Amino acid sequence: MYSFNYQKAQSVEQAGAALTRSDASRILSGGMTLIPSLKHRLIQVDELIDITGLPGWRDIRVEGHQLWVGAGATHQSVSRHSEVRTFSNGLSELAGMIGDPQVRARGTIGGSVANNDPAADYPAAVLGLNATIKTQKREIVADDFFLGMFSTALASDEIIEGLRFNKPLKSAYAKFRHAATGYAMAGVFVAQISKDQWRVAVTGATDCVCRWQEAEAAAGTVPKDLRFAHNNVLNDIHAPAAYRTNLVHILYAQAVSHLA
Amino acid sequence: MSQISLNINGNAHKVEVEARALLADVLRDNLKLTGTHVGCDTSQCGCCTILMNGDAVKSCTVLAVQANGAQITTIEGLANGPVLHPIQVAFSNCHALQCGFCTPGMILATAGLLANNPEPTDAQIYEGLAGNLCRCTGYINIVESVKQAAKVMQEKQA
Amino acid sequence: MKARFTPSRQEDLSLITGKGHFTADHNYPGMLHAYVIRSMHAHAHIKHLNLDAVRAYPGVRWVACAEDLKALGAGAIVNAMTAKGKDGEEQILALMPILAEGTVRFVGQPVAMVFATSALCAQDAAELAEIEYEALEASVDPEKTTLSSSTQLHATAPRNVSLHFASGDAEQVNAAFAKATYASQLRVLSQRLMGVPMEPRAVVAIHDAEAGITTVHTPHQGILGMRNFLAMASGAAPESLRIDANDVGGSFGLRAGAYTEHATLVLAARHLGCAVSWVGSRSEIFLSDWHGRALILNGEIALDADGHILAIRFKDRVDLGAYNCMMSTFIGTRNLSITMGGVYQIPALYMESEVVYTNTTPVSAYRGAGRPDIAYAIERLVDFAAHEHGFDPVVLRRKNFISESAFPYKTANGSTIDTCLSEKLLDRALEISNYATFEERRAQSLSQGLYRGIGLSTFLEASGAGTAPKDQAWGEFNANGYLYVYGVTGPSGQGHSTSFASIIEKALGWPADRVRYEAGKANQKLLGNGTGGSRSLYGAGSAILAMCHHMLESIKPHAAKKMGVDMAQVRFENGIWLANGLSLSTNEIIDALANEEKTSLNALGEASSGATYPNGCHIAEVEINPSTGETHLIHYYAVDDLGQVISPQLVRGQVHGGVVQGWGQAFCEQVVYDSQGQLLTGSFMDYAMPRAGCVPHLTNETYEVRTQINLLGSKGVGESGCTGSLPALANAVMNALRPYGIDQMDMPFTGPKIWAALQKNKGAMNLK
Repeated sequence: MYSFNYQKAQSVEQAGAALTRSDASRILSGGMTLIPSLKHRLIQVDELIDITGLPGWRDIRVEGHQLWVGAGATHQSVSRHSEVRTFSNGLSELAGMIGDPQVRARGTIGGSVANNDPAADYPAAVLGLNATIKTQKREIVADDFFLGMFSTALASDEIIEGLRFNKPLKSAYAKFRHAATGYAMAGVFVAQISKDQWRVAVTGATDCVCRWQEAEAAAGTVPKDLRFAHNNVLNDIHAPAAYRTNLVHILYAQAVSHLA
Repeated sequence: MSQISLNINGNAHKVEVEARALLADVLRDNLKLTGTHVGCDTSQCGCCTILMNGDAVKSCTVLAVQANGAQITTIEGLANGPVLHPIQVAFSNCHALQCGFCTPGMILATAGLLANNPEPTDAQIYEGLAGNLCRCTGYINIVESVKQAAKVMQEKQA
Repeated sequence: MKARFTPSRQEDLSLITGKGHFTADHNYPGMLHAYVIRSMHAHAHIKHLNLDAVRAYPGVRWVACAEDLKALGAGAIVNAMTAKGKDGEEQILALMPILAEGTVRFVGQPVAMVFATSALCAQDAAELAEIEYEALEASVDPEKTTLSSSTQLHATAPRNVSLHFASGDAEQVNAAFAKATYASQLRVLSQRLMGVPMEPRAVVAIHDAEAGITTVHTPHQGILGMRNFLAMASGAAPESLRIDANDVGGSFGLRAGAYTEHATLVLAARHLGCAVSWVGSRSEIFLSDWHGRALILNGEIALDADGHILAIRFKDRVDLGAYNCMMSTFIGTRNLSITMGGVYQIPALYMESEVVYTNTTPVSAYRGAGRPDIAYAIERLVDFAAHEHGFDPVVLRRKNFISESAFPYKTANGSTIDTCLSEKLLDRALEISNYATFEERRAQSLSQGLYRGIGLSTFLEASGAGTAPKDQAWGEFNANGYLYVYGVTGPSGQGHSTSFASIIEKALGWPADRVRYEAGKANQKLLGNGTGGSRSLYGAGSAILAMCHHMLESIKPHAAKKMGVDMAQVRFENGIWLANGLSLSTNEIIDALANEEKTSLNALGEASSGATYPNGCHIAEVEINPSTGETHLIHYYAVDDLGQVISPQLVRGQVHGGVVQGWGQAFCEQVVYDSQGQLLTGSFMDYAMPRAGCVPHLTNETYEVRTQINLLGSKGVGESGCTGSLPALANAVMNALRPYGIDQMDMPFTGPKIWAALQKNKGAMNLK
């Protein structure tokens, strides 16, 4: 990779200031996406600001009907946390399905959400539960956060401090692993938010995580004629769009069948 | 360049590294611990797996500076002097290695798996090794060796 | 300190403790590091090449391009074999230059090499290269490459054809088809693959100017082969090259010869007067390791009214890639013809293969090198014909096996198979797989909405004939109590040391743990073959066995003396020396000898061992989930005749590995290029690999039929797993899908592919 300066941020303000100073500086969290990109010289950075040492960065705590997950919480810590399991079955199982064990030991929720890889798993839970993304500047609800492929509402100097989830009545996640990468060729998060309100988020199948209104209207049932329709279902050498659409249907049914 | 402190296999080390140096390369080149292998450049083969603060991680996807202050176990540090670790013994007994290139990473991934789940089912073993590729053995004997190691380690605990 | 346990292989201890010696582990003082500048175009003229800025970069010591290497005496990348065309014509050859000369013909082709104080420095400097390419049309599709509308890669090869080969009797075959009651045709693809040994290709070279010898560390398949190919490519005299017997992280056929980096580094080590190192990144390896397979096999079969096979005919298309490199001709000629009748008694055989160029990475041998492919094509054709004409696939096979009384059997195109007891292997495989009750299991799966299938292959393998005139092994009893055995073949995970030690223990009564096999020693003058074509065990092993026989003769007088009897009274039985009620072990005798007496026991063993015919019956049972198209392999059964088995554990390991590589080809691996020749599967992000659990249950048995072809009686096993698994897995998938109107599909049988085929046929079949 190209050379860069590395510093460990002492505060989120310091990290934000570095981002403001130069648009060739980047935040380093788990590094599971950033380091491979650097190794392949796909990007060049002047400054790498490591935010994993910030106090409270990895905190996971339940606060009443809400769950706070610090941006630096690893996938492993979220998946193993007993309180997360009781808080949201879907969130807990999703975290345990990301990548492989070595990736889960390092990758963080903040990094995953900020990157918004169309095949990442976390965006499905974040959108499926309409979590609030807290940065050092403001709070953004999930519905307003995921804008497009690798694109979010974050300003260039904005850093995610953590996410706040509201407790669903029930939730579940089902994923179909890409044979090569282990990412989601498709992933569906289903959540019963309240007695009459359901949310269904689909990742992997299109250019950006999205809600599936028809499935939400089905309110936890699997109607025979339920169809996922979207303008940008991905089509590549691994699978045609029709296959991904098919997966969405199947994974929705799977998630519904193990709602907890 | 900056100086970092690494505790590797119980020994304290201070190393001068560039910010862009990968932990895998520092282990191999600076510290001459060549048992950790580099098999790919997209963080998927797992040959570089080591234990960092108890977790199995891919050392090719960790900057050495990120590992400052960490406790690291490499394959060279798994045995207790001349006494091999049960995982190492099981790998040999079960013929779970042929060329041996993926083996250190596979053994350490196993260590990470068993530390968290001492009696894994077959499905859990497959998941536990999902980050490690092997081209020679077909994995069948590797899975057997994980089960054998788990059994021996459980018996030692009892 | 003694280890508290005995490793199951001699090789294990260093490998499980991280003390292996792989190429990239070597670090010499003052070593320079190389970086390869590669073409990003599949087909282009190099209009302008200016490396001045690269040379001027701080830390850079040398930048080599084609002219520099020519000036140092370099040759070209070796093409190991040529063949004559079907009308006796010479094969057209286009050799790959070590570094590109004016034109690049595949993405990844090396153009220049930078040597600097660190690998990163070399890579940084390389970015300053000024290279202007004039892009040309690329010809990527092996079927279309022979059309007149396709770009011609080489001026000497019109229609991009290197060779049009034939084997067998066309007229006889045509006559058979003319009178056949039934005929079937099936075209199958053995898709282009990457070998992916886990250790990336690497070279470290250091030259001793005084001795005039360059030592080379690199993964290889035998010191002599690598040395000879490297000598040809670099122009260095073979005696001036010493190939180290370091650990090798897998080879599978790809490491037999010298690549660009080998030749350039030898020349660099001499030119620069210091050690040099190149370690490939996996992305580079995807572009530049020889690829494997890439064959289109169009088969036809003719049957009489009772189902006897009258003839088989093949028309094959062999994709060479951009140049003739290493073993590609071998694949397209010998290996597609030697076993083209499979295990069947077929009176007429004929094949033609067109060996063609495309703007892709050159193709060479990968585990089986054409034989798994042709076994795949035959066994799929037999199953296809069985179903097309209403024969039971097992019954049809039985009817056509070469009968026991026919051995040694000379095939219609000239191979002589010593023995192959297919009937017995089939019976055993059917028994252990509970084949007879399969339909009950199919029904059970269907009640859960899953499609179950069972498939079998009865296959013939042909191991390597070897290129050296014979194999030799030299054994020395050391003063420290070890028997050192030196040979040529180099292991890449097969456990040669362990197998050879087993042979010695059995033949000589000398303990296996006091044997050390060394694959190569400086200045040794032994002849022999490297590993390839599954022949090391019986090739080198037979030489070792011969060596043991010589040693037994030399030991006998010492045995007699120690037991105080006449030589005539001494016999060696079951590893023990016996005479008049006395008994002695070999090591008791030898340990008591003085060093000069030990030296007198040293012996050379030689053996000439030609190709053998391992064979087997494999059965796979799969279950397909129609909603995703995913196939789950429930159980795999392998019954193999490998001749004399030396180490059952190592044999099982080889079959496991081969079967899982077959699984990879069957279900997920494929090299994909776009129409411009850009590699779309350039990393593990796109090239899917088998992972733990893909083959959860494998039962393997051996059925030993000793061969008389070599002294050891063994047939080799290295490639059988691949050869048996491709057809068994494919036939199982077809068996599962046939009820739904699908009778042909090409590998890899991915979820999306199977799902799409089922969807397409849904309407036609009126299924829910």
